[in-house]
Amino acid sequence: MKKLFVLLNLLLSITILFAQNPIMVKGKVTDSANGDPLPGVSILEKGTANNGTITDSNGNYSIQVSGKSTLVFSFIGMMSKEVAVNNSTSINVSLQESTEQVEEVVVVGYGKLHVKDLTSSITTMKPEDLAKTPTGQTMQALQGKVPGLQVVSSGGPGDSPTIRVRGIGSYPGKDNEAPLYVVDGMFFDNIDFLNTADIASVSVLKDASASAIYGVRAANGVILIETKSGHINQKTEISYDGYYGTQIAQNVLKMANAEQFTTMAMESGSAADISFIQNAMQRYGRSRINPNVPDVNTDWYKEILRTGAIQNHSINVTGGNQKASYSIGANYFSQEGILKMKNEYERFNLRNKIDFKATDWLTIGGSMIFSNALKYDDEADAWNQAYYAVPIMPVYDEQNTTAWPSHYASAQNLGYRSGQNPFPTLDLSENRLKIRKIMANFYADLELIPKKLNFKTSYNHAFTALDERYVDLPYFASSNFRRGDASLKKNANNYSNQIWDNVLTYNDRFGKHNVTVMAGTSYRDEAYYKLEAQGLNFPTDEEQSWYINQSKTIPVTGVVDDGRREYGISYFGRVSYNFNDRYLVYGTMRADGSSKYQEKWGYFPTIGAGWVLSEEGFMKNISAINYLKLRASWGRLGNDKIQASDGATTTTIIQTAIDGKLVSGTKTSSTFSSLKWEVTEETNVGITSQLFKNRLAIDADYYTRDTKNAAIYVKIPSIGGSVLKNVGIIRNSGFELSLSWKDELSKDLSYSININGSTLKNEVRDLYGQPYIDGGSAEFLQRSMVGEPLLAFFGRKVLGVYQNEAEIKADPVAVANNLVPGDFKYQDVNGDKKIDDDDRVVLGSYFPNFQYGGNIGITYKNIDFSASFMGQSGNKILNRKRGEMIWTADANLDADLAKNRWHGEGTSNKYPSAAGLRKGWNQKMSNYFVEDGSFFRIQNIQVAYNLHKKSLYGVQLPESRISLTAERPLTFFNYNGFNPEVADGIDKQTYPIPAVYTIGLNVKF
Amino acid sequence: MKIINKILTVTALSSVLAISACQDKLDEAAENKAFTQQTDYTNTANMSSPLLGMYAEFYTRGWEDFPLIALRGDDVNAGGLGDQQDYAETDKFNYNKDYWMYNSVWQNLYSDIFTAHSAMEQIELYKANATDKALADQYIAEAKTMRAWLLFNLSRVWGSIYVPDSSDPSRLLVAKLSTKDEVMKHISDQMDQAIPMLPNMHPNERTDIRGGITKYTALAIKALANLELKNYQAVADATSQIISSGEFTLEPSYYDLFKLKGKLNTENLLELQYSDLGKGSGDNFSYLFAFFGPQGWTPKVTGAGDGWGFYEPSLKYIKFMLDRGESVRLETSVLFTNRGITEIKKDSKYATLPAWISNTTRSGDKINDYARAMFASGKHYLPSSMLTPGRTDYGTNKNFPIIRYAEILLMHAEALTQGATSSAMTALAAVNAVRARASMPALTSVTNAQVMDEKLAELGMEWGTRYYDMVRLGKYNELSYDGRTFTESKIFLPYPQSQVDLLPGLKAKTN
Repeated sequence: MKKLFVLLNLLLSITILFAQNPIMVKGKVTDSANGDPLPGVSILEKGTANNGTITDSNGNYSIQVSGKSTLVFSFIGMMSKEVAVNNSTSINVSLQESTEQVEEVVVVGYGKLHVKDLTSSITTMKPEDLAKTPTGQTMQALQGKVPGLQVVSSGGPGDSPTIRVRGIGSYPGKDNEAPLYVVDGMFFDNIDFLNTADIASVSVLKDASASAIYGVRAANGVILIETKSGHINQKTEISYDGYYGTQIAQNVLKMANAEQFTTMAMESGSAADISFIQNAMQRYGRSRINPNVPDVNTDWYKEILRTGAIQNHSINVTGGNQKASYSIGANYFSQEGILKMKNEYERFNLRNKIDFKATDWLTIGGSMIFSNALKYDDEADAWNQAYYAVPIMPVYDEQNTTAWPSHYASAQNLGYRSGQNPFPTLDLSENRLKIRKIMANFYADLELIPKKLNFKTSYNHAFTALDERYVDLPYFASSNFRRGDASLKKNANNYSNQIWDNVLTYNDRFGKHNVTVMAGTSYRDEAYYKLEAQGLNFPTDEEQSWYINQSKTIPVTGVVDDGRREYGISYFGRVSYNFNDRYLVYGTMRADGSSKYQEKWGYFPTIGAGWVLSEEGFMKNISAINYLKLRASWGRLGNDKIQASDGATTTTIIQTAIDGKLVSGTKTSSTFSSLKWEVTEETNVGITSQLFKNRLAIDADYYTRDTKNAAIYVKIPSIGGSVLKNVGIIRNSGFELSLSWKDELSKDLSYSININGSTLKNEVRDLYGQPYIDGGSAEFLQRSMVGEPLLAFFGRKVLGVYQNEAEIKADPVAVANNLVPGDFKYQDVNGDKKIDDDDRVVLGSYFPNFQYGGNIGITYKNIDFSASFMGQSGNKILNRKRGEMIWTADANLDADLAKNRWHGEGTSNKYPSAAGLRKGWNQKMSNYFVEDGSFFRIQNIQVAYNLHKKSLYGVQLPESRISLTAERPLTFFNYNGFNPEVADGIDKQTYPIPAVYTIGLNVKF
Repeated sequence: MKIINKILTVTALSSVLAISACQDKLDEAAENKAFTQQTDYTNTANMSSPLLGMYAEFYTRGWEDFPLIALRGDDVNAGGLGDQQDYAETDKFNYNKDYWMYNSVWQNLYSDIFTAHSAMEQIELYKANATDKALADQYIAEAKTMRAWLLFNLSRVWGSIYVPDSSDPSRLLVAKLSTKDEVMKHISDQMDQAIPMLPNMHPNERTDIRGGITKYTALAIKALANLELKNYQAVADATSQIISSGEFTLEPSYYDLFKLKGKLNTENLLELQYSDLGKGSGDNFSYLFAFFGPQGWTPKVTGAGDGWGFYEPSLKYIKFMLDRGESVRLETSVLFTNRGITEIKKDSKYATLPAWISNTTRSGDKINDYARAMFASGKHYLPSSMLTPGRTDYGTNKNFPIIRYAEILLMHAEALTQGATSSAMTALAAVNAVRARASMPALTSVTNAQVMDEKLAELGMEWGTRYYDMVRLGKYNELSYDGRTFTESKIFLPYPQSQVDLLPGLKAKTN
């Protein structure tokens, strides 16, 4: 090492020697594509660390250098150029856009690599890809863009979409499916706090080879996010990005109107139902158009929906001088929900990032993001209530004089069992979340051997304070449709997560050998604390008195005090080697220690290999192929989202009342879980290629990932419930393809087309000898069985509807059950002449087996246009709203069901008669409830006009871009709901996904 | 340069070392857990904790437990039409092994049996340090008695079952099934062990756990088990001890016995205790009585909640009661709707009903017509006027009686009319005591058939007593009513399929 420093000294003195004859070089840097001057290009005298400058707003520069030196011109997105000075004083340079993707550098875990050195499957999204989607949730912008990544939108303001990387390898429903997000080195479970405009890149590490470096956290996929930073010698850039728009509910489900509903009730033959209709006619009068229908026709979805504004404003200042670079920004985002209640999200973010070259061997830096969000969650039940509320009742009923605080109508006044009206809940509930997050980071990067060996230590702390307040205020609409107590629940949570990483990186090149070696350690400390209490009957009028101390009753059983602290220690390393840029070998290893489980250490290796065929002599003649690489990898990943296990029996406090007094006792568990992380093994093979003068890029991958010891529920005999054990095997496999074509037809006209698609097969391969594990609910069963997808819908098969008496008579099942024409006919699967639970079959899975997406972009002069689409197929949705019929037969139903019901021979073989629908017992879980969830959507259309070197009345205008965006304007599907995006496949109260129309403005000074 | 070099190396190395030093953090135990191994068993003041926990578990009954145990007699129908079809099918003796309720009740009962074992094991650990070893033995005997009642119900519903011997459920994987007779014998033996350890007093006289288990509770369960075994002398002996103790009396008002007045009443030997702690809001411990409630009513106290409309007294039962000229017991057992009254009158024999029969209860609650049933269970009804102001859940704050002194008297009479002997009380005296309270004229002599009728009149809708009596006596024709056909093969429910899938013993028995 000593020798190297001597060498470095020597080099420095030589530089100084040359610098003795400085000359002034001037010139202009332009964009080779259009000849426009390029401001902000950094120019560095080669071999010096800090003799450099940047071009001004007209692309001009001047620099004092030695006449024998070489200048390096570099600019983001352009290929760098080196020009020898040769004593000339004027050097004009034009820079070319870097088109070859393979030259790019991508962020990988604990470092960066050239795309050409990758043996793994990584998809990286750039700010311009993300910016088109008007959303507060960056991950939403990835929908349909990354093959193998499923993004299930959430319509609620501030709600994160559900993200699945290459299927689900863990038994669902335990909060254990989310990928790991790594934001500038810090681990997160979601990135709902980030502003999209602050992000420099999002990289989805899909296969084991890419993600195994994150060891025990990697099995659900890893998504790396880098926030924007400044660059050394970058001219100060002040930019504004913003949009304003509106959200409108799409594909709103049409419900039966008063007339259709009345017809159904009359046809049902139920005396009670008919009497309710008559009650409605008495109370509200008869319709003048059809006197047999009550004079009310409420469209409940229309009543509870509204349009919501959405807006985002960001200001960023980025720049740098010879020693320091910075990026500082502020952002405000707000989004109203489309549900008519206090349902909104507002977020104010501040951030800064500073990097400073303290000495020629030491760079230090730090960054901080403060996100302050206020979120009012929806009252999800309203979506369900609006489905079954009868249309023959208004929202407000002035005759209902005892109702307060408003004269809400109550269906009980018409004779129905429940009040149905969603408005009391909407008006008198408030779910407030204050989410404050700070992410602070500090690092020091020591250059031990210049350009070859460096050591970086970085410390990250993410702190979240989440204060929840749920308030339910009292109301009265009718005797059983009331809320007597004002209730208040407060929940104070804080999360304090720290990571300290130390990484040593060595890069070298000797002969045809290129090698990068990295080794590091990481220490993690994750703490969580929660305190929850409830209060009843506090002064309700003013929000200032909504405190537990103001409450008359504070239930003892409402107090929750909980905490968690987990530590992790890891050692990891990576070797990336290529020979002659043709043969690539890649491997990482991580040893993860965790305090979460009884077993402490896990080891997660990966190995990958690549062969760049296009570098071989025999391929050189094929001019169509510019680049072709075959790659294969294998790796092992962990999932420590599996809950911590007790490892020993525990004793818990339980309470009861004895002689009217509260008494506490203890219960000692007779079983306990002994769990560890899940281990997933993944094999991936793929190709990366560039064809036809780099205009066409094709990437294809095939993978299988097996979760070898999935934590599944193993039933405890007789006690019920079950213990989680690491004994299941789950396989996900799929094929992913992405094609992108880019071409320039003329200087003014260029276009691009991208298409991607992916398949997924999710399969349970072992359940520890158990024939199945049941999930879902008793009435709407979801069963996991070997050879089938996880939590597949499971039930009977509807053959159709009995059409006539002859058909009934011919069928012993129908005779035995006193069925009549208009009732459902089920398939006797096992042929035992009975329809019972032994006739149940798998009805489908909520995982799509095919997803696709694509976009086209056209740029003509200053106008650019882009359109993207996406879709999926093969997934099923449980229409649980229709399932409400089982319990409440007199409620409303959707118009499709009302219109296409059976009402006489030949009228329908799909839906039963009004009377048949009321036979809850003949409506067991079946394919009638399980519908096709395929959809196709126009995801985004954007037209933008770029103001480029324009002046108005002689005043030079800043670089600007004005855009009009339609996000999700059209969705096509057959499902009888208004939203085919249902994360768990059970549509009971899913928030509708609105279309968003915005106008946006970007200005750069 | 040299110095810098050293600084760098030291920094890099020390970081690595610092991390290695943190290794012991990996052994930190989880937060917010109390591991059983850390329990301080020398602090014997805590010895009652596992027992109180057992009481809490025992009282916290799944809402489906009682409905399934008590459904199949000719006194009651499923009700709740249109919902839970398999529940209605069970009432008609068409059993579905995959029905969730079977598995759930099996698990609820077994789960508490294992908790009882766990509590007994914990108390044993305290006992080693306790100065008052007799108290430890009493606590164990209390848990044992609760366990016995749970096993009793499991075996009545399923016949051959497992009798666990420790808190480890995995031992069932290799365990043998015990026949119903073996289970009942086991229960009787267990009670013999428990009886000398338990307090010799009425449950409501206990000062530590008021309403808890006493000697007489164990004797009652012993009597119940022996009744199943038709070991009538043992029944007579156990009930004689209870009768002779003089601790128990019949509550004078049959109607009020099933209302708030029934809480810790002198008539009760065992009951599930519930309470809203006397407050209008906040903590509340309750059975889910809404299951029994009428689906529509106009309560005297506006806003009191109604129920789900399940568990409907049968027309057969109502007519039986009318035939006998019963008033207070019929009024207490059945909530009438107008539709139901019309239905009774359709039978010309009952065209004129006693004037007191109405859809408004004595307590002023009006039962409206609803689609799911014609009648609702009155013994599981609490008048809206008795709800603590602020509470609206149907029946909340009511206790759930399990064993009443009236049943003891009638079991005693049944045993004697089956040939057993006793000096404590004659069969006639026992039956007449029960009749007198119900304002029924005294009999001059009593046959076994009359005792069984008295049991139906007195204990209808309570814990399936009628069903298990008829099964025991082989009177299948009584159970074959309203289009049902009962045969011997229908006595027990099939084992829940998900248990059969797990337990080799059940699988072998099923095949």
